[in-house]
Amino acid sequence: MLEKYMELMRLRFLMMLAYRVNYYSGIIIYSLNIGVYYFLWMAIYGDQSSINGTSSVQMATYVAVAWMSRAFYFNNLDREIAQEIRDGTVAVQLLRPYSYVLGKGFQGLGEGVFRLLLFSVPGMVIVSFIFPIQLPSDASTWGWFAISLLFGFIINTQINVLTGLMAFFILNNMGMIRAKRVIIDLLSGLVIPITFFPGWAKEILSYLPFQGISYVPSTILAKGVPLAEVITFLEVQLIWTVLLWVPIRLLWINARRRLVVQGG
Amino acid sequence: MTSSKLFIDYFMQYVKTRLQYRSDFLVQMVTDIMFQAVNLVFILVVFSHTTQLSSWSREEVIFIYGYFLVPFSIFAAFFNLWEFNERYIIKGELDRVLTRPVHSLFQVMMETMTPESLSGAVTGLAVMGWAAWEMELDFYWYDPLFFILFILGGAAVYGGLYIMLTSISLFSDSKTDIQPIMYNIGNYGRYPIDIYNKVIQIVLTWLMPFAFVGFYPASFLLHDERWLTFAMFTPVMGLIWFSLGVLVWNLGIKNYRGAGS
Amino acid sequence: MYSIEAQGLTKDFKIVQSREGMKGAFRDLFDRQYRTIRAVDEIDLRINPGEIVGYIGENGAGKSTTIKMLTGILQPTSGDLKVNGYDPHGEREQFVKTIGVVFGQRSQLWWDLAVRESFRLLKKLYSIPDEDYHRHLNRLTEVLEMGPLLEQPVRKLSLGQRMRCELAAALIHQPRLLFLDEPTIGLDVLVKENIRRFLKQINEEYGTTILLTTHDLSDIEALSHRVVMLDKGKIIYNGGLPELSKQWGGGPRLYLELKEEWALSALQDFTKDISAEWQHIEGRCYRVGLTGPDPSVSEVLSRVVPHASIKEIRIEEAKTEDIVRRIYQEGVPHA
Repeated sequence: MLEKYMELMRLRFLMMLAYRVNYYSGIIIYSLNIGVYYFLWMAIYGDQSSINGTSSVQMATYVAVAWMSRAFYFNNLDREIAQEIRDGTVAVQLLRPYSYVLGKGFQGLGEGVFRLLLFSVPGMVIVSFIFPIQLPSDASTWGWFAISLLFGFIINTQINVLTGLMAFFILNNMGMIRAKRVIIDLLSGLVIPITFFPGWAKEILSYLPFQGISYVPSTILAKGVPLAEVITFLEVQLIWTVLLWVPIRLLWINARRRLVVQGG
Repeated sequence: MTSSKLFIDYFMQYVKTRLQYRSDFLVQMVTDIMFQAVNLVFILVVFSHTTQLSSWSREEVIFIYGYFLVPFSIFAAFFNLWEFNERYIIKGELDRVLTRPVHSLFQVMMETMTPESLSGAVTGLAVMGWAAWEMELDFYWYDPLFFILFILGGAAVYGGLYIMLTSISLFSDSKTDIQPIMYNIGNYGRYPIDIYNKVIQIVLTWLMPFAFVGFYPASFLLHDERWLTFAMFTPVMGLIWFSLGVLVWNLGIKNYRGAGS
Repeated sequence: MYSIEAQGLTKDFKIVQSREGMKGAFRDLFDRQYRTIRAVDEIDLRINPGEIVGYIGENGAGKSTTIKMLTGILQPTSGDLKVNGYDPHGEREQFVKTIGVVFGQRSQLWWDLAVRESFRLLKKLYSIPDEDYHRHLNRLTEVLEMGPLLEQPVRKLSLGQRMRCELAAALIHQPRLLFLDEPTIGLDVLVKENIRRFLKQINEEYGTTILLTTHDLSDIEALSHRVVMLDKGKIIYNGGLPELSKQWGGGPRLYLELKEEWALSALQDFTKDISAEWQHIEGRCYRVGLTGPDPSVSEVLSRVVPHASIKEIRIEEAKTEDIVRRIYQEGVPHA
């Protein structure tokens, strides 16, 4: 059962290895992203050594960790699904003996693992030499981080699948996909840690799933959070991964019905 | 001036198509506004924690941002090459384009343009106007002239760079995801360049010269003369990068391998 | 001047050679290997104005690559090429005004708009004078019976209707040379018939040179003056269709049932001065293939009858399709 999905994941991993241009340009672009946001935040800190209880070193670490995590959780499943729906290949995929949505998820995971191993890990080592960042040394923090990062991946992937499936109902959802990407970068805490938002916005964001994508894992690693708070964080992530299944199922069932009606 | 006449024809064609898919039109507008809002939100949040971004005030940073939107929206309207690889290479539409007696890049640009993105220029002007009013910024008679030269230069820089990236598809048929990421990096030219270190300054000035799309020309309009030479250089950079883009494109067309077999 | 004149026309493609397995893929990331394949291999081709030439070959024989070079889409790796007097890739924008192209599987028209709108934009693209445009469009509309289609969006047309519009779109600027890549693919017999008639008509009326590729040999039988056959990037036959049959043992086949069984060598003796190939099928049944220059059926019979009595005779004309299939299966017999 799981074997099929592992194979899909492996195939995607291999595919990623074949895209050389992507790999090399990705390294340059991610370094630039980290560099720019590092200096931007240092300019914001200016002479202040701490804002909102976050020291400038912690902020620098947050920027590096958040971008390196993004390399893992980020994927283009939304675009892929939308494309397959529009050109009709989704109907063919449905004939294959595995769940379409789950299959896509594992392909995304293959992509994520690729970037994590060949991109984030070496990148993080280099970044830690260039910028004054401080990573924790105890194994348990890294363990919690790993778990919450995986949750972050799942939540982001679920949102991607949802956006992609919208192509069943909106003919051209490319604009939506692009907008979603920008919104997630903002609201997930990638470009601004959620604690920096004004009170009312923080309140709203605490009821949304986006915090689970970037803010939670990055905070765990960069700030060193007490265990009780870590548990709360993970609970929130867990709840969202479960909740997000509901609209995916509903949309999927509806979409399949449409496929049948339209005759594939 | 056949190409400007052709532009009008393509534009009419575009309008007719758009009228058939009105919801797409709306989605595009909403998307654009969202892009603009997200970036503004970032600036506002940042300035709730500090009053200065290395000597730049909130209004100044917002002014630069508003300025940036104008060349950017021109770019977004006419260089909508996001799906070039899928549509023109994989599905083979480029074959058709190449059998027509007009430059291939011009045809592709005309077929993919989204003039509604120009609404961003209006937003940009409004944001600039607001910031200028808040700062009680004076204008000289020549400012509008330079403004027009600058936005054209900025759009050309952005466009040239983007054409180059798109041309990668002509050389290798494997897919690339660089373009969307590049979109984000373009935003970095909106922040005052003196907050970055030397390496990033060099990158944003010479390698991916996004500082010419936002900061350098905007600093001139803010009457800050520290970057005067760079600001004046904007139209030249536009010319250089756009030519480079077309050059790489033409090279790519020579290298093009055709769809399927 | 020739419509098409190619000398030593060659196209190479560089393709990535992937290594096997996970380890190989990792190595590919840092060090990539390439291999060159030759899709079109030093082709010489001359086509006169007004000719209709069929260009055939199996998938991957290099047909599309050739067409793409001839239409200016691809740049040749080497060789000389002049089409309508132009270098197709080098002088592309000037050159394409003199040709029309129809890709059977790809639309030239704007999908979302009415057919007329597409024509209108093409008029601008090719800068066709108003008068010429109207006169020519009216003529095409009449001949292709497009009248009722003009106001419909392209996406609502049936394949046959669309193909008629595609043809009109390719001809609206009155090109001297028309390229058709699989023009009848997926069409039903009646529509095919119409399209062939139309192509013949414009060829006769305007002297338009036509080069077409197709999988359907009946297209070629109905249209072509000449056939060019391609295999593995090389031209293996260039000439008329009837001669193709003759040259490659595609002459008629004679099936004989004799009264009694004969040794094959004895039968071969009767006809040793003419080129007839004897084959023993089973029992008293034999097959005679007539391959050489003009051996007639009666000639063979006159040799056999004095010796052996014949019970039954059947003559089978070779079909082009069979010949072509045989050439691909068995290779080039006389090359």
